[in-house]
Amino acid sequence: MLPIVARTLAFATVVLFATLASAQDARVEAARKEGKVVWYTSLALPSAEKVAKLFEAAYPGIKVEVHRTGSERILGRVMQELKANIKNVDVVHTSDAGHFVMFKGRGLLTKYTPAGVEGFPAGFKDKDGYYYGLRATVNAIAYNTKALSAAEAPKTWKDLLDPKWKGKLVTAHPGYSGVITTHVAALVNLHGWDYFKQLAQNRPMLVQSAVDPSGVVASGERVVAVNGGDYTFYQTKKKGNPLEIVYPREGVPLVVSPTAIMSFAPHPNASKLFTDFTFSREVQQVMADSEGLYTGHPEVRYPADKPKLSELKLLTVDPEELEKRGEEIRKRFVEIFGA
Amino acid sequence: MPGVSLKALTRRYGDVAAVADLSLDVKPGELVALLGPSGCGKTTTLRLVAGFLAPESGEIWVGERCLSSPRQIVPPERRRMAMIFQSYALWPHMTVAQNVAYGLRFKSGLARTDRARRVTEMLRVVQLGGYEARYPGELSGGQQQRVAVARALVVEPEILLLDEPLSNLDANLREEMRFEIRRLHEAFGITTLYVTHDQAEAMVISDRIAVLERGRVVQVGTADEVFLAPRTRFVAEFIGKTNLVEGVAATPDTITVGELRLRVGAGGLKPGARVALSIRPHDIALATPAGAAGPGVNALRGTVQRASFLGDGVDYQVRLAGSDVVLRVAAPASQRLRAGDPVDLRIDPAACVALAAEERA
Amino acid sequence: MTGEGVAAGTPGRLRGIDRALPVWVAVVLVLVFLMALPLGWLVWMSVSTEAAGPTLGHYAAVLQSPAMLKALWNTVVLAFWVGLASVAVGAPLAWLTARTDLPGKGVMRALVLASFVTPPFLGAFAWVMLAGPNAGLLNVLWRDVTGATEPLFDIFGMPGLVFVVTTYTFPYVYIMVANTLALIASDLEEAAAILGAGRFTVARTVTLPMVAPALVSGFILSVLQALALFGSPAILAMPAGFHTITTQIWSLFQYPPKIEQAAAISMPLLLATALLLLVQKRVLGRRGYAAVGGKGGQRRTIPLGVWRWPALLGCMAVMACAIFLPYGILAKAAFSRAWAQPLTWSNLTLGNFTFTFFEYSATRSAIVNTLELGIATASVGAVMVALLSYVANRRLIVGHQVVAFLALAPIVIPGVVLAVALFIAYTRPPLILYGTLTILFVAYLTKEMPVGYAQSDATFRGIPPELEEAGRILGAGRLRILRDVTAPLARSGIIAAWCFIFIGVIRELSASIILFTPATKVMSVVIFDLKEEGQFGAIAVLGLVMLALTFATVGLVQAVLGRDVLGVKD
Repeated sequence: MLPIVARTLAFATVVLFATLASAQDARVEAARKEGKVVWYTSLALPSAEKVAKLFEAAYPGIKVEVHRTGSERILGRVMQELKANIKNVDVVHTSDAGHFVMFKGRGLLTKYTPAGVEGFPAGFKDKDGYYYGLRATVNAIAYNTKALSAAEAPKTWKDLLDPKWKGKLVTAHPGYSGVITTHVAALVNLHGWDYFKQLAQNRPMLVQSAVDPSGVVASGERVVAVNGGDYTFYQTKKKGNPLEIVYPREGVPLVVSPTAIMSFAPHPNASKLFTDFTFSREVQQVMADSEGLYTGHPEVRYPADKPKLSELKLLTVDPEELEKRGEEIRKRFVEIFGA
Repeated sequence: MPGVSLKALTRRYGDVAAVADLSLDVKPGELVALLGPSGCGKTTTLRLVAGFLAPESGEIWVGERCLSSPRQIVPPERRRMAMIFQSYALWPHMTVAQNVAYGLRFKSGLARTDRARRVTEMLRVVQLGGYEARYPGELSGGQQQRVAVARALVVEPEILLLDEPLSNLDANLREEMRFEIRRLHEAFGITTLYVTHDQAEAMVISDRIAVLERGRVVQVGTADEVFLAPRTRFVAEFIGKTNLVEGVAATPDTITVGELRLRVGAGGLKPGARVALSIRPHDIALATPAGAAGPGVNALRGTVQRASFLGDGVDYQVRLAGSDVVLRVAAPASQRLRAGDPVDLRIDPAACVALAAEERA
Repeated sequence: MTGEGVAAGTPGRLRGIDRALPVWVAVVLVLVFLMALPLGWLVWMSVSTEAAGPTLGHYAAVLQSPAMLKALWNTVVLAFWVGLASVAVGAPLAWLTARTDLPGKGVMRALVLASFVTPPFLGAFAWVMLAGPNAGLLNVLWRDVTGATEPLFDIFGMPGLVFVVTTYTFPYVYIMVANTLALIASDLEEAAAILGAGRFTVARTVTLPMVAPALVSGFILSVLQALALFGSPAILAMPAGFHTITTQIWSLFQYPPKIEQAAAISMPLLLATALLLLVQKRVLGRRGYAAVGGKGGQRRTIPLGVWRWPALLGCMAVMACAIFLPYGILAKAAFSRAWAQPLTWSNLTLGNFTFTFFEYSATRSAIVNTLELGIATASVGAVMVALLSYVANRRLIVGHQVVAFLALAPIVIPGVVLAVALFIAYTRPPLILYGTLTILFVAYLTKEMPVGYAQSDATFRGIPPELEEAGRILGAGRLRILRDVTAPLARSGIIAAWCFIFIGVIRELSASIILFTPATKVMSVVIFDLKEEGQFGAIAVLGLVMLALTFATVGLVQAVLGRDVLGVKD
């Protein structure tokens, strides 16, 4: 009951706030003239669609065109379009910080600081002001509560190497997902590539998106997810599925998902408006509440049944490191797991 | 009513000449049959006349107009002809009346009521009165054929072309339709070219027969002429059955075959030249016991090798004494000889037709 | 018939004014452009480098890479087994429906047709839900009933992939064999029966050798299908950790793209399909279908006797695998909150429909794109194949045999390879089509041309030239004849060609997956996208929409043609 009320209030506040703001903002007029924002995002589809609908409700007349796919696919898509001289995308949001290092290096981004990010932690801000962390999640382990008790469930990343889990695991793929690229990078830093070689002996099922493992575990198709965005696990659990999350003690890879406006964005004003919107406290709160995400916003309050970032041992990977090692990570993963 | 004149037509397929230097004159109002075995070029000739093919050399004249030449060809729709196809080519999505009326659309000065009247009239003529609303799929083969005839005749063409129109009918119907076509020709008098491989059909239907062999006309004439006086071996064998006897000319009007001497009616032989004779089996008479040969009649002696009783006659194979010539004789059933019986044969010199010398192919 | 008038390869059967000649020539040129340009780029790309001259380096890289070689091997294994299995399933089924007194033959044929038009990737999805090793409903049922811990059947893996692909490929064998059996007179079989052979011996020793060419041909067609599939391997093989050539090519397009290698690995695939088609042509002879001696006489049915019901059961089992189970699970998933849970009242929802059509922004534009492309491709394609097959059939221009060859040639190019070629050709000046619907249009037109051509070719073969000549000699010009005689008679056949092309377009995946951009998604791509999100409910909804569109079009074809769209004679 309470969460619903809270959510409705939050929604109403968002709309009210935005409506008041829009009355005064000339930029809104310019944005309205542009008519839409094209958003390539790796945020889980229902979440992405929700954010889009919130924006459209707050700013009638401006559409958000959501194109959701995995982080690595988004990168491929943007580069392919660039090569063919197609200028379609306005705002790019992925979970692979390395992408933005590369984009910035090639002059593909618009320098824009969204309103209100001053209070964000350093890890959510690009020092040159080109991209900012819209949301964050951590990689965690999830298991099916119908098949395993809490005692039987794995507690650490190393636990997953036990042969008893053979045929019972599912992993997402760094070739598709930025969340997973970070995960692999962090664990290689922690345990070396041997970790994954041993993990491959347990023949995990290969899925693509960091969103997928939660569905696989919830349906019982596999019993344990060896990685995945914890926000997706959280959402799945909240829907009543038989799933529980484990935050390994060795540390959980932190994934900050940046967002930026492309330098060639066809709808620059709408893009800036949209970016501001997504960084507003209200929307960030929505992301925390209903989507289970972590954010950089200092005023956002998180659900009680989720560990705070400060409580977790975080494994971070530098964006520059992600950019340099991304291809190597993907290649070796394919070599080890076969596809 | 114009006539058709084919002048030295040639048309090749690859390096085979389907029609080679073919010339033929069809008089106005005449029905000429193009007769020959398959592959002789008769259908190609017909399609050249129709304008579906262009000649590589030669010309086609209809009356005073040159319709086809290597340089220029009048398209089929402007040649004022009509054609009846072997398959009838009736349009399955149109009724009988619509099929027949089709060509009338392109005749100027005809009101719609006129067209309808003509269609009804023509259907009556071909004895399909009342079938206007039927579809070709509902008709029998013979009826379809008559629709095709009606469709061709109703436009009053200058030239009528028929491409083996009877070959898809059964034997009885074919005989009946032969006379029907002849009757229609006599009624309408259109200059007609009729392609067939059936010599009986050609002989019944046509005014003259043009016998085609390997793309050329080898003989043109009335049925009588072609049958009784074949000019080449091919014609003799293709039209009716015949015996071919080869010998050497002794005098202008006799030839020797082994020990035999035969008198040849036409004469004009070159002594010493090789000559082939055509003798029709029913021109050979069995001598009556009492009869002596008339003056000049060839009298030959032989032995019956085989006798086949056919009901309305007997077919004998007779070996002539003094040579290894075997003659087929068609005799009436009144006398029944058996194998081994000696027999006397009487052949009128006029029945011994000398054939033109041929190049050995 | 009119034997002498028509020798093979003779142009100019109706010479004279041909004002339409430029049109024919233009169409032929378009065809050459469609086919030759992209293929040329493909070959070029496979040997080119950015800076230096031509090189065989890409081929070397491909042949030395263990991953590529494994993918090649997997593809061969897959194709081979699918071919065998399709023959094993399709041939007996064809014999049962064409020759015996099997009950419900009409229903069986309709089901085979349904299997034929079902997109294989939808079937793969459905089978994931049916036979995933842990959550698949069949396995759950098996475990409940027998108490086993291991699943009955794990669909992820080569056996599963072969199984699923076969269920949607056997119709090719079925059609070939059934059409051949329709031509064989019963006398041949009865002669054997009188001499003492039981009905299965007859089938084995008399019927089988006579349909051998059809079997070989069907085998080859199935192999070709299996070689070119993308969706099923992506759904069933990649999660199990192995690639086929098609999925490998697709992964080469992910960032950073290795287009040259993609081109290099496309060539063996292209050559393999070309070779197989050549073999198939030889086997069937010039007629293009199994020519069996005789006029086809009367055909009497063989009584199955005590084998009647087992045979029916067997057929139904096949159909269950192809139609009943997959369609059922799709329907269930479309209406359930959680597809793996039992269908209780609390599980029922229309939420998937609302999500798909109202909340998921990609759906509507994808459906619109698919319909637009389907209609455009089918319309342009139908006109093109009508013109082309008319030109070829009536031999209107010199080189008309080339026309037929070119129109059928795209069958040699697997969809993925075609997409690679088009990508290379049209992402560079002067003609940059990438990112527009046009490049998809070009891909679909090229890919579906053969099926449209085959249909329109058959249509014009059924209209003897005499029908047109009869009109011309009566005074109608060529264009008039086209209007009065040819068009009415060809109409239903051309409409059928339109429908075949349309059906092919809406289910196309292997080329679309390479050529699409976010702005130009089509339904099959959206379904594939949703798979990567694990949104089974939305997948099921869109899948059902796709099937509905397909069957509506099939219904149209049957209404128009008045006969079974598979062309299997009764």
